[in-house]
Formats: sequence, C-alpha cells, structure tokens
Amino acid sequence: MMEWEKQLHQLADRLCYLKDIFPGKHEEDIALLETRLNDTRRKLETCSAEEAQAEMTSLEDLFFFMECKLEDKLTPMDKVRIVRHPHRICLRDILENVYDNYTEIGGQGEHTNDPAMVIARAYITRKRHGKVYHQPVLVMGHEKGHGEEFRNGGSAKPWGNAKAKHYMGVAETEGIPIHAYVFTPGGYPLEDYPGAAQQIARNIYEMAGLTVPLIAVFSEGGSGGAEAISLADKRLMFSHGYYSVISPEGAAAIEGHLRGGARASADLVERCARDLHLTAEDNLKFGYIDKIIQEPVLGARPYHYEFFRTIRQEVIRATDEVVLSARGLAPLRAATLRRFRDRELNLDEFSVRWDLSRKARQRLVEMRQNKFIKASHRECQNRRSIMGRLGDAWSEQWWEIYNRLIYDFYHRNRRTFSNLLEEIGSEWEMLKLRAMKPWNRLHGKTEEPAGNTEELTTLSEWEEDNHSGWAWVSPKAREDRAVSCPYSAQRGCMDMWAPDLYNEFAGVCSSCGHHFPMEYQWIMNNCFDANSLYEFNTEVEAGNPLHFPGFDEKIAEAKRKTGLKSGCITFEARLDGVQVVVAILVGSFRGGSVGVAEGSKFVAAADRARRKRYPFIVYCHGTAGIRIQEGTHGVIQMPRCTVAVRRYIESGGLYLVLYDTKSYGGPVASFLGCAFYQFAIRSSDIGFAGPGVIKNTTGIDIPPDHHNCYKALSRGHIQGVWDRRDVRANLRQALETMGGRNLYYR
Amino acid sequence: MNKQHKVLIANRGEIAVRIIQACVKLGLDFVCVHTAEDACSGHVALAREIGGEKSLYRISSYHDANELLSVADESGATAVHPGYGFFAEDFRFARRVTERERPLVFLGPSWRVIRDLGDKINTKRLARSLGVPTVPGSDRPIYDELEAEKIARSLFDFQMQQGIARPLVLVKASAGGGGMGIEEVYDIDMFRQVYRRIRNYAMRQFKDEGVLIEQRIKDFNHLEVQVLSDRTGRHPVHFGTRNCSIQSTGRQKRLEVAPGFDPSSIKYDFDAAALLDEIVMHSLNMARKVGYDSVGTWEWIVTRDGQPFLMEVNTRIQVENGVSAAISRVKGKEVDLIAEQIRTGLGDPLGYTQDDITFNGVGVEYRIIAEDPDNGFSPWVGDITRFSWDEHEWCRVHTHVPPATPEHPYTIPTEFDPNLALAIIWGKDLAEVTAHGLAFLDTLRLEGHDGKGEPLKSNVEFLKKKTERMLRF
Amino acid sequence: MRDIAEVMEELKAAPYTEREVCAPHTGVIRFADVKEGDRVSGFTGTWKEIPGTHIATITREKNPRKVLASERGVLQKLYRELDGSFVEAGTPLGVIRHYLTRQEVVSKLLKESLYAFCAPERAKYYFVPDVDKKVKILGCRTVSIHDGMELFIVSRMKREVPLCYSGPAGIIYDVYFDQTKNVDSGSPLIVVCPPEQQSAVEDVVARVQSEWNEGE
Repeated sequence: MMEWEKQLHQLADRLCYLKDIFPGKHEEDIALLETRLNDTRRKLETCSAEEAQAEMTSLEDLFFFMECKLEDKLTPMDKVRIVRHPHRICLRDILENVYDNYTEIGGQGEHTNDPAMVIARAYITRKRHGKVYHQPVLVMGHEKGHGEEFRNGGSAKPWGNAKAKHYMGVAETEGIPIHAYVFTPGGYPLEDYPGAAQQIARNIYEMAGLTVPLIAVFSEGGSGGAEAISLADKRLMFSHGYYSVISPEGAAAIEGHLRGGARASADLVERCARDLHLTAEDNLKFGYIDKIIQEPVLGARPYHYEFFRTIRQEVIRATDEVVLSARGLAPLRAATLRRFRDRELNLDEFSVRWDLSRKARQRLVEMRQNKFIKASHRECQNRRSIMGRLGDAWSEQWWEIYNRLIYDFYHRNRRTFSNLLEEIGSEWEMLKLRAMKPWNRLHGKTEEPAGNTEELTTLSEWEEDNHSGWAWVSPKAREDRAVSCPYSAQRGCMDMWAPDLYNEFAGVCSSCGHHFPMEYQWIMNNCFDANSLYEFNTEVEAGNPLHFPGFDEKIAEAKRKTGLKSGCITFEARLDGVQVVVAILVGSFRGGSVGVAEGSKFVAAADRARRKRYPFIVYCHGTAGIRIQEGTHGVIQMPRCTVAVRRYIESGGLYLVLYDTKSYGGPVASFLGCAFYQFAIRSSDIGFAGPGVIKNTTGIDIPPDHHNCYKALSRGHIQGVWDRRDVRANLRQALETMGGRNLYYR
Repeated sequence: MNKQHKVLIANRGEIAVRIIQACVKLGLDFVCVHTAEDACSGHVALAREIGGEKSLYRISSYHDANELLSVADESGATAVHPGYGFFAEDFRFARRVTERERPLVFLGPSWRVIRDLGDKINTKRLARSLGVPTVPGSDRPIYDELEAEKIARSLFDFQMQQGIARPLVLVKASAGGGGMGIEEVYDIDMFRQVYRRIRNYAMRQFKDEGVLIEQRIKDFNHLEVQVLSDRTGRHPVHFGTRNCSIQSTGRQKRLEVAPGFDPSSIKYDFDAAALLDEIVMHSLNMARKVGYDSVGTWEWIVTRDGQPFLMEVNTRIQVENGVSAAISRVKGKEVDLIAEQIRTGLGDPLGYTQDDITFNGVGVEYRIIAEDPDNGFSPWVGDITRFSWDEHEWCRVHTHVPPATPEHPYTIPTEFDPNLALAIIWGKDLAEVTAHGLAFLDTLRLEGHDGKGEPLKSNVEFLKKKTERMLRF
Repeated sequence: MRDIAEVMEELKAAPYTEREVCAPHTGVIRFADVKEGDRVSGFTGTWKEIPGTHIATITREKNPRKVLASERGVLQKLYRELDGSFVEAGTPLGVIRHYLTRQEVVSKLLKESLYAFCAPERAKYYFVPDVDKKVKILGCRTVSIHDGMELFIVSRMKREVPLCYSGPAGIIYDVYFDQTKNVDSGSPLIVVCPPEQQSAVEDVVARVQSEWNEGE
C-alpha cells in the first residue's frame, strides 16, 4: 500500500485540480474519476502487487483519457482558471528549469521592493563544435509564487515596474537580450510614487526604443500590467494562457452594470471570457503574439519537465531569430534563418552570438517599432476612397521632401550666411561710431523731448482685444437654472446661474475655482485661432472588431449622440499663427475609451506632426481607458501609440498632453503618460484605475481626492495644473519654451 | 405707471426701510427679505406692519441671488430694487434678473450700462472721448516697461510744471480694485522696481499684466453729481452736487453736504460756482452719451486750485441721496429720489425737465455709527438701550434700529456695516444748517453697553467737530 | 470646573440631543422616502465621504439640493405637511434624536472640567494662520499655548482684529467653534489642558470609553 501512496496522492491532486478548473462543470466525468480513485484505494489495501500494478495503470490511463477529453472541451474561462491556479508553473520554475544558471538580482524572496516582480541574470549554455558558450540574458517577469501571499498574485506595484525599467537599462548597457515572462493579472492600481499609470507609461516608452533583443512570453497577460514588460521583438504565448484587456469578471461587471463589488453570474463571466477573445489562438490570429508554445494537457504544472525543454528551445529560437534579422539579411544569414524554422534542430547544439553592432541595434529598434505601428492595422475601418488615400500618400512624400529641402539644406546654410552678414554689419557700426565721435561731441546730441502733457490727459489709441466673451459657448448656458458647486458645503460657494457659469465663467466656480466639466468643443474652439481648424482622417470609424455581442448598437448610439465617427478627433490648427497638430480624446464618446480607430487616428496624427515638424498637442477631454469590447485590439494600442509618440519625440518635436475631467487606464498608462509635458486642467482626475476598481482589487479605501490633478502634480506625474481660462495663453507659452529642436518655427 | 407691479426689496436696514416707504408712497405692493440675524431689524418690523407676514421672507443670505429670485417668484414680485451694496452694481445680477425665463424689472440702470461704467478703464476712455477731465496718466493698460517709464517720467514733469512740490505717481493693476495692487512712486528712479512688482502681482492675482499709471492727487475735495434719467435715457437731469470730503480714516464717508461748495459764504481759491456748473455739465454729457436710464452718481475730485477730475460713476442709488433731495424741489414740490428711481424704472417718463428743478438752502447728512473714531474707527458691538432724538421740521432721521429700551435692547448684528442711522438736516444757508446740525447732535440720545458692560461708543462727537469745518477746503 | 462624576450622571440621565433638520435656504420641499421612527445616519466613511441619509430635496431656481441627515439617530419628527410647499430658509423639516457618542460625551465633560477660553464677544473666530495650519494638519492637541499668546483672529463688521489667549499654559484639548459661524459672547472657543492635568483627562476619556454605551 505504502508504495502506491505517492501515486495515489498525485492522482488525488490531479482530481482536485480538475475540480478547481471546472467548477460545476463536467461533474459526471469528475465524479467517475473520484469513484474510481476511491475504489482503487480500497482495492489496494487488499489485493496483490500485480493486481495493484494493473489497477494503478488502468486508473492512470483513465485519468489521462479523461484529461484529454476535457482538454478538448476547454472554454476560454477554463483557461483563465488554469492560468490562475496555484499549481501553474511560475517564473521560479522557469528560472530553475529553463536556464542553466541564474541569480536573482534586486531581491531575495520577500526581501525586495516588490516581490511580484523578479529580475534575474541567467545563462543559457550552448555548445558549438564541442565548445561551450555561456550566453547571458536578463530574465524578468511577474512571480506568482504558487499563491504565496506576499507575491500579490503577480500584480506588480509601480516600484516593481520601475525596477524592471531600471534593469532594462542595465541590459541595454551590457548589450544582453531580455527575456520577459508575463504572469500578471494586471498592474496593482496604486497611485503612490511613481504611480501605476505613470510607471507603466515610462516602461513602455523605454521599451519602444530599447536597443537589445526583447522576447516576451505570455502566460497571464492582464492588460496594462502585462504591457509594462512586453513591448517585445517576439511575443510568445503559452497555449493555455490568456492575454486580455480586462479580467472576464471585470468585463462582466461592466456588461452587467454591476456596482460596488457585486458579483456577476458565472454564466455571464463565461460569456465575457469568450467574447473577449483572450486565448492564445485568438491573439495569434490577430497578430499580437508571434507564436504559441504548446502546453501539456490541461496546462503546464511544475512536474511537466518536458515542457520546460520546449520553452527553452522556443526562447532560444526567438532570440536567435531576432538577433539574426537585426543583423540584416545577408544571404548566409538567410540560410541560417531558414534552418531555424526546422523544429527538429536542437538549438543547444548550435550557437548564435547575441550581441549586436550599433547599426544592428538601430535596425532592431526600427523593426520593433514598425511591428507595433502596423499592429491592428487591418482592424481599422477607414472609409476613405482609394484616390483619397493615394493623395494622402503623395502629400506625405511631398512633406518629407519639402522638409529636407527647407530645414536640412536651406535653413542650415541661411543661418551661416546671416551670421556672417550680422558680423560685418556690427563692424561697420563700430567704425562709423568711431569716425563720427568728434563731430557728435561738438554738437552735443539733443536729449529726447520731454513727455507730452497732451498724452496724459487725452484719449489714447488702443486696439482693445474684444472682451466680448468666448467664441464657443456650451449649450448648457442656455438653461435658466442655478447650479451648485460640489464643494459648496466645505467652501461656502453660492449657487451660480447656468448662463453665467457656462458662458462667461468658462465653467469655473466663481468663488472656489472648481472647474465644472465642459464639452470638448470648449477647448477645441476657444483655444485656437478662429477658423483655423482643419480636420483630417475623418473617414476612420470606430467599429466592433471582435463582434462583441450588442456592441454594434452601442457604438452606433455613441456615433449618433456625438455626431462623431470615433472617440478621437484629429485636426490641424493655428495658435497665434503657429501651426499645430491636435488630437482630442472625446470623453463623451463611449467614455473616451480607446480602440483601434482612436489608436489609428492618433498614430496618423503623430506621424503627420512629425512629417510637418508641427507641435503635437493631445487634449484628453476624458478617457475611461482601453475600450474593453475590442479586447486585445484595444490593448495593443498602448504600445502602438507609444511607439508613434517616441518616434515623434525623437524627431525633435513638442508632444504636450492636456488632461481634463477624468483620465484613467491604458491611455494614461502609455501614450499619454509618457509625455514629457503633461498638464491638467484644474479639478481633473488622473490615475490608473478609478476609485471603485481600487477598492475592489486591493481592498484599500482611498480618499475622495486620491486622483485629483494636484495629487498627480505632487507625485510628479504631471508638470502643471492650468486654469481653463488660461489654456490658450499657457499653450502659447509652451510652444515657445518647450519641446525639441526640430519644430518648423524654430 | 402700472400699479400692478410688486417690488422685491433685495436689501436690508435703512435703505430697505426707505424703499418700503417709497413703494407705499407710489401705491406699489412690495416684498421684503431678511436673514435670521436681522429678524429684529426695523425694516422687518415696518414690512410686517404695512404688508403683513406675507410680505416677509426669511432667506439664508442677502448675498445669494438665488434666494432673492426664488422669493421673487414665490411672492409674485415683478421688479427688484437692489438698494446699495449687495447686488446694486452687479451687472450679472441685473442681467440675470432681466433675462431669466420669468423676467423682472431691475430697478437700476440696464445691465450693459452697469457693466460699461463699472469698468474703470472704459469709463476713463469714455470721459476722455467727450473731453471730460480725468486724472492725468494712462487710459489703457500698459504692458511695456519702456512705455510705462515714459509715461511715469512725463507725469513727474507734468506735475513739476504745475508747481506741485512733491509729485507722486500711482502704479496700479488695471484689473485690480478695492485698493489691491496699488502703489505710490515719489521718485522716478524707483519706478521700474515698483512697476515690476505691481506687474508681477497683477499677473499672479488677475492673470493680466496690464498696469495703469496715473498722477496721485493729494489734497482734494470729494464731490458728487446726482443724476436721474428715465428709461429712454435721453433726457437726464441732475439734482445738484454734494461734498463728501469728510470721511473716516478708512475712506468711508461720514458726513455729506449739498451743495458741493458754498461760494456765498466761503471764499475759495477758484470760481466755485463755475466749477460746480462744469462738473454737472460733464456728468450729464456722459449720462446722455451712454443712455443712462436710472439714478446714478458721478464722482469727482477737485484739487485745491479748482481742477476737477472724474473718478468714477456709481450706477446705483447712494446712501446720501436724501441730502440732495433735501435741497431740491421739482415744480416746487419735495422730491424722493428713491421713489423717482422706482417710478422711472418701472417705465414712467420723467415728466419734468431740468428747468422744473430748483435748489434751496443747504443740506447735511450725518451717518450715525457705533464706532470708536479715536481708535481707527473700529466698530463697536453690543446692545443699544436707548436711541432717540427731538423731532424738527428741518430734520429727518432714517434708521432701521427699532425703538430700544433698557428692557428691550437692540443688539447690533455683526454681519453688516455698522451704520445705525442717517440724519438729514436742512437750513436755509450754511450758518443755519450748522446751527441745526449741532442742535440735533447735542440732543441726540444714544446709549448702550457691550458684553463687558462698557458703554456704547459712537461717532457723534466726531460729527460735531466736523460740522464746523463743512465745505471748507 | 465641576466634578466629572456629577456631569456624567447628568448626561446619563439625558443621553440624547435633539437636533432640528432645517431648510438650508428657500425653496420647494419634497420629502424623500423616510418616515418618523426611521434610523438615519450622518456623513460616514473614512473621509466622511459617504453622504448621510437623504431626508428631503429642496428645489430653488430649478436646482434640486438634497437635505441630508447630519448625524446618526432616529427621526423623531418629520413635518410632512410641508411636502410640496415653498419654505423659508431655516424652516424646521424634522427632528433627529441623537444618542451621544463617546466622543461627544468626552467633549462635553472636558468643556465642564477643563479651563475653557470663552468668546469675549459675538463674532466669528479663527486661529491665527500658523496655528490654524497646525490644527488642521496635526490636530489641535499638538498646539501648546500660554498666557498672552496671539491665538485668534476675531472677525466682525468686516474687520479682523487679533485676540490673545489668557489663561493657564497647556495644550489645546478641544475646539468648539466653526469659523463660518458666529460664536456668542461667553461660549467656549477652546478648552486647555495644562500638562499636570493631562493624566486626569486621560482618566476621563478612559472612563467614558468603559462607562458610556453608544446606544442606537
């Protein structure tokens, strides 16, 4: 009996695992296994060794058969449960089994700033012609630690992500590849310094220009938390993993309009998991991962040693491929690459050097950037005609050539010339002065005439800039009613009359300065020169790329209500004569959420600003985050737009973000939050997750002003808080004083 | 005039009492408001006595337009009289009153007039465009340091030419007001420093760097011209001038005399009669130009050598309106400017011209206040146990303080200005009015004590002292 | 200063306060779904961010405003007859019977047993800026004061004058004024606890903690 105990125990574990993975499902199958297990256990007490052997084999076969049968019936939600199960392999298992040697750095168990984020230096030992090569890599990733409490379920805190970013820099300096393992349900939504959103944005921005190969492996890819380490050259994914914009429960809570932590029904959660298209196959199809690593039946657990060997082969292969393609496709390398596709080749017996020349590093970054810029391109609904698109392409080329001519050639040489002229001129003045000196002394130059008293008492000329009010006035100003300031109890503000408040006061409480939310049109029409707006890419429309049930109607409703085609408006405008490109995220279009259409318009606007050397201003009228109904099509906009932003900034432009009302989630944690110049309109809220989400996920009660822009300023997230009435003047000031050297008016 | 109108009196105290009286005189219905602190005020008692409980509403604050308008709607009022202070010169209130879904008549100038004349720069420019003398200096915000210095320099030169021994220049934030962001310069070398300081202050405080640079005039008399016009705005008339030079240290008026100067009994260094005519003419010219359509006051300062400068226009009824009325007769009859304001405000034509207005005698107004003139005019708070005076035909007292006895004292509310009463004294000439005034003050009985049992302090002695100096430069 | 036990017995005999719920301003009243005898609560939550029980809605100039219960207790009276009518500012809408909390009892006891510095006249009072800052951030018990120290600003008739503290040196144990409201002459502004009395005060607090049961 004793000799079987271990095996029985293991089978019992497997049974428990099944129960966990399939709660309330396949009950008959599981019950059958349970009865058989109990039967066997009873039999073993009495029967002979041979019989026992046969019994055990048959039982193990049955288990395997059942597991295979259930594997075929896995639903997306089952996979989510597999990924979350404490038995699932974790980063430490991978470090132990995939790499030949590893040293955890920046932490030891719980003695680290964030045990959910583990960094390690590891080796992969490869042989070539009998010679041994140790190839160093930097491994980073989320550590769930099989459910260890202090690991926080692999949910990295802001400082954990900061640690990751720091070591990315180390790897870059040392020129070694990075292997990032994504095992996170999402970022921990804490706003304490450096701030969840802010840090994720910085990480994404860093990776958008990181000059070493970066391989990401997804097991659990929870939205923003996953993006913090996964803007990679190759993205691999475990076959039972998920990569999603939101947890199925979160999606269900939104879909079911649940508030205050109420639970959604299992059925709804299951449906949402399916509709989110979060499995490896889905994401491979969309192109957001490059390859699936097949897991054992019902998901990898620490005793699946064969699986670790597969992982090892796959990450080596991915790294080799990235390195070789960055080196350029010389014929020889092309042949090598081809050989890599041969799966049978044991990569341990083969070696590719992983260091890159400066040129190759540049190419690597460029390829990575292109990869992400192109992501989700297919999903974008653009109703622009073929001719229109051709015209656009032509005009883009023209701007490229024009800028070359004007800035790179003409301006550079003109400056030299004018400097020369200036010097000659000042020499001449000096000469003249010296020559005239005796004569001047003789005549005693007359003093300027004393002030004219007439001027002091009569009407002077004055072109008063017309104070007749704002160019655009909110329709709310037409209602005859009083409005209370939300702070009236604390600050004693009196009710204001809507026509005063929404017109002349620009939505600002006249006694305490609280800013009431205003429509996006207010900034759009009052902060730029009159009649200078030229909208482009109007044909891009928000759609329903995942065919999320019921969402077509919701999008249509949003379009009808706002008269817009997507939540992003992009236009060119002038500000005191200075040309700028502006993108607005409209808070009233599906909460300002960002999907493929919005991301595509944003990328196009950044590109346009880059080509024309215009400043790029983003007015975030409000955003609730990534549009969850678009699933990973939405999430991918985070790295995608950040890459566009990085390209723009590095070309020497001015990228300025202005937040208003409420800005949360993915956009803030990526392409908005990475801006060097972020300002907020007073009374706006900025953060990663809203107060309700924080309460639900962390159990921490946060003060009501936790996300207030002044808090964001104190934390160092934003660079300033602006009064709405001063936005125009402040933007003007920013155009003059901020930004890179390649703006057209510099 | 349509007698169906009902007037909401959006004010308290003495002015509310006088508006009630004016409404009664005109046969109009009215409704009064009061706060909890003011429940014992005389205006409440008078409103209750005349109009009953239905004419009284308790509100949370006199400063809350919403309270006033909700009472107006509830009580069926059709017009609002703002009195002085509170909403009297708030163009937004006037606009809201007249543009809301249930519009009311605002008994004051139209909101555009209030807005335009409430703007210092606009008023100064309007005056200059009509050749009305204004304080020498800039009439538009100056943003450029060199230009500012040039103006300051010419202002110093200008004053030297005028023979002013210690020329002074004033630098003030053009968007400021109420004595904030204002500084004197007595030396041109200091100018830049002061200019920058004010400019930075203005930028911080008002988000506008604009600065005004003016001559600082010292040693002047404060004169006013009382103007009235009906809704057509075409034929403004005046009710003479007032001299309001006797003030507290905090520049609060304490004693006003009409007319503004008395050349018949006092000798001035300039032709006082001509000067009064001149400022009246200028004031009426401006009123005509802007289509002024209510009562208003043009404020002037007059230097010792008789130069007038327009300071500002007060687009409201003033505390001291009664002193002008005391010396004026319309077609030989007494006049009540508040009643005239209401009557014309409700659309009645004026019905007379300047030729019908005659002037007779000298009027003085005393503001009787519980305060300590020896101690920076600091207000005194406590209970009034006695407040009475002898009745005379040459004397009229306006007060909201109810009859008080030691058993039923009146507690001065702490929320408002500490005015207790206005006494208007008339005499056929300056000598007579001085005698009447002193007689009135001598017999005035004002007693009380505060929480510590200290006796009431008032400015009666101060007023007595000043009575002898009236109208002298 | 009185004997604590005596005051405590008095409070035990009458452990309730009755507070009127009043209309904050004029307007038309609509009562919410509450009735006499209902339990109500005031602002709750860590930051007092959860509003109290909705008692009525008052609409003025087309702007509805909720009238909320200001403290925990039982709605003893509700003047339902006012429903739908226009009310003046300060009109009573109902009465909340509130059982004193431990903190309130402590505060009442201290008012009686510690040195109370009273308002010399009816006015609005506030602390001088640096004390105000300290009180707001660190709490009043971090502020030690002594005789002759400039502590308050008295605001009345639109004028502000400083007021010096006079009395024993010690820490400010409790504050009894609200700077937006007038304080009547003679009512306490603060109570001061001299260092030697501190342990006695802590006894009071401990005693209330053990003896006072928070009812309802």
